[in-house]
Amino acid sequence: MNSSSATTSPSVLERGLHTLREKGDLELYANVFIIGIAVIFTLWQGTGFAITLATVFCIWAILSVSLNLVVGYTGLLSVGHIGFFGIGAYGMAILTSDTSYELLRTEAIPQFGWPFFAALPACVLAAGVVALGVGAVFNRFRDDIYVLVSFGFAIIAFNVFLSWRALTRGAFGIHDVQRPSIGGWQLTGDIEFLILCVVFLLIAVGISWFLVSSSFGRVLKAIREDEQVAQVFGYQTTYYKLAIWVISAMMAGLAGGLFGSFTKFVDPNSFILLESMLLVSIVILGGLASIRGSLLGALAFVLLEEGMRFLPFLPDEFIGQARQVVLGVLLVLLMLFRPQGLAGRYKL
Amino acid sequence: MTYKLSVLLAVLVVVALSAIGCGLIGDSDDDEPYRIGVMESLTGPGETYGTVANQAKQLAVEEINAAGGVNGRMIELVVEDSKCSAQDAITAYNKLTDVDEVKIILGTSCSGAMLGAAPLAEEDGTILFSGLATNPDIATAGDYIFRTSMSDAQLGVDTGNLLWADGIRNLATITESTDYAEGVRRTSVAQFEKRGGTVVAEERYASDVTDFRTQLTKLTNANPDAIHLAAQSEFAGGTIVKQARELGYDGPIYSEVVPIGATALEIAGDAANGLIAVTADLDPANNKAQEVLANFREKYDYVTLAWYLGSAYDDVYITAECLKQTEDDQDADGFRDCLYGITWSGAIGNSYSFDSNGEVVGLSNVVVEVLPTGERNEDNQGYKVLGPAPLE
Repeated sequence: MNSSSATTSPSVLERGLHTLREKGDLELYANVFIIGIAVIFTLWQGTGFAITLATVFCIWAILSVSLNLVVGYTGLLSVGHIGFFGIGAYGMAILTSDTSYELLRTEAIPQFGWPFFAALPACVLAAGVVALGVGAVFNRFRDDIYVLVSFGFAIIAFNVFLSWRALTRGAFGIHDVQRPSIGGWQLTGDIEFLILCVVFLLIAVGISWFLVSSSFGRVLKAIREDEQVAQVFGYQTTYYKLAIWVISAMMAGLAGGLFGSFTKFVDPNSFILLESMLLVSIVILGGLASIRGSLLGALAFVLLEEGMRFLPFLPDEFIGQARQVVLGVLLVLLMLFRPQGLAGRYKL
Repeated sequence: MTYKLSVLLAVLVVVALSAIGCGLIGDSDDDEPYRIGVMESLTGPGETYGTVANQAKQLAVEEINAAGGVNGRMIELVVEDSKCSAQDAITAYNKLTDVDEVKIILGTSCSGAMLGAAPLAEEDGTILFSGLATNPDIATAGDYIFRTSMSDAQLGVDTGNLLWADGIRNLATITESTDYAEGVRRTSVAQFEKRGGTVVAEERYASDVTDFRTQLTKLTNANPDAIHLAAQSEFAGGTIVKQARELGYDGPIYSEVVPIGATALEIAGDAANGLIAVTADLDPANNKAQEVLANFREKYDYVTLAWYLGSAYDDVYITAECLKQTEDDQDADGFRDCLYGITWSGAIGNSYSFDSNGEVVGLSNVVVEVLPTGERNEDNQGYKVLGPAPLE
């Protein structure tokens, strides 16, 4: 026993190093580099801004991991994910907001006054229920048609947020959305909220990891490669697709609930189609069918986008536009050099 | 792949290093400039207002610094993009307060962004001072929140009174689904109905729509005495006026500031002749206002949204005056007390001040009419002022 392990261990090490050199080095570099920037950023800026960015990262990471389950693992290119995110955010806003400011208005939305931790499961559930209904219809489609119908869903969701004024206050948005509290302990501080977001991110990543490494996950991958073959082997692929769609939407609802509480103000502008496209970009940027890739993609995206705020030598009069151009060029470059994403193995 | 990878990493390194380099400059000292944050919608749906506001502020700061600064110190603006969205306003706000450590922020140009950042500013005791945000909810946003822009509630009351005074009894409305346009419509309609008017048809459109013929046809089929248009983007505002005339509607159109902006008038062309708008406008007799417009045009070679330009410009001078008193750009409480006590005469009006909600008082809206195409020029902005909005 001892002798065998003594003989195999060098070769394992060698093989590991070899693998790292062969194909893993880019991933390693990318990981080290992006996390390195994050650390430098935190040390240099002090913690305040970094906490905000970390919170934004956690929310986008939950979203991108959840979308990767559908897009990366199952091969269903959905651009409507932002709709579920919005359902979560509006759920949180409607259920917890103190609408006393509504006195200024002629129309008032209902006031529920739920605590954060009661509202959050409701947000997740609401996203899940809507996803179940939508998914039952979407299951009839695949490939490019799927992209189109999910596009349609994003548009419908946005317009519901905008037009259902009796519930969402339309374009005015809902403010005074609650921050969480446990007993008498208010988690109003940014650091406490960040910790909460990290906990939920870990839960979401844990669930996703469990799903994709189980036999369930293998069926999903089979569906992505060839749905008919999976069916021939006796799998009811419709149910698998519906299940992962609903799970993914529930995670997006969770992210939405956190987002609503984080910004304390929810309006339809946060759930436009462009945001959905950004989300798909993050998933592709990070790498399809890779949970680590999604985390990396979200981190890279938040750092790149917010890093633009520190670009020097731009004229003050056009600083916003100039930053967007630089960001766009960087994203194009990334895709040019790494079409499979930072940590991905598959192209779209 | 290694080569490509190194190029990619090099690009990222350059970004990161330039960021770090940028951050090392500017640790505060007594000889250092006063640092003031600016948060405007430089990209996204509110880009027109945000860019004008930012440029007007840059102009004002250049003038102040050229004249020797404040208390012998220069003013430095740290500009951030709040993109008209609550989330971006929050990250921009945190960057300004945590990284740049400013305590006074001028902005934002969008009410949604303002309402996103306001709770944080109120909690931190940071001044948020806007020249453009008009949502009525901002009045109650907090003790550190101020604005020189007039609330939409005021604009709505003025519009409702004007419609009634002009003999309009049946009104049709078309409104962009944004907080600003919705606010204008709602307060205008409320006042109009209070006076005894009836709304016979109402339509709304999302910000990315470009064809309004169906909605306009429905409105005109209801035979209104007038159409009221509230838009957020100049493109939509101009297109609606144009398409309404193309469909044969020849009744009066009432609107607000957006459809009489330079871009909107260019899109609408002849169709905009006679378009009436209730808006805050610079007084042609106010020398300061005319001087600001002339300087702005000289520097940037265009002028649009003149009143808001003036409002953003005045904000910087008010800020400079308060800095002169407090002598400290970190003293937000002193700055707040200064604003409560100040009476200012500038580009947007004379002797205006702030009430206990941080709302501007002493300014008023005027009624303007768009001139025929041949008479529009840079000096008159394409319209003439008919007079102050009628009272109840």
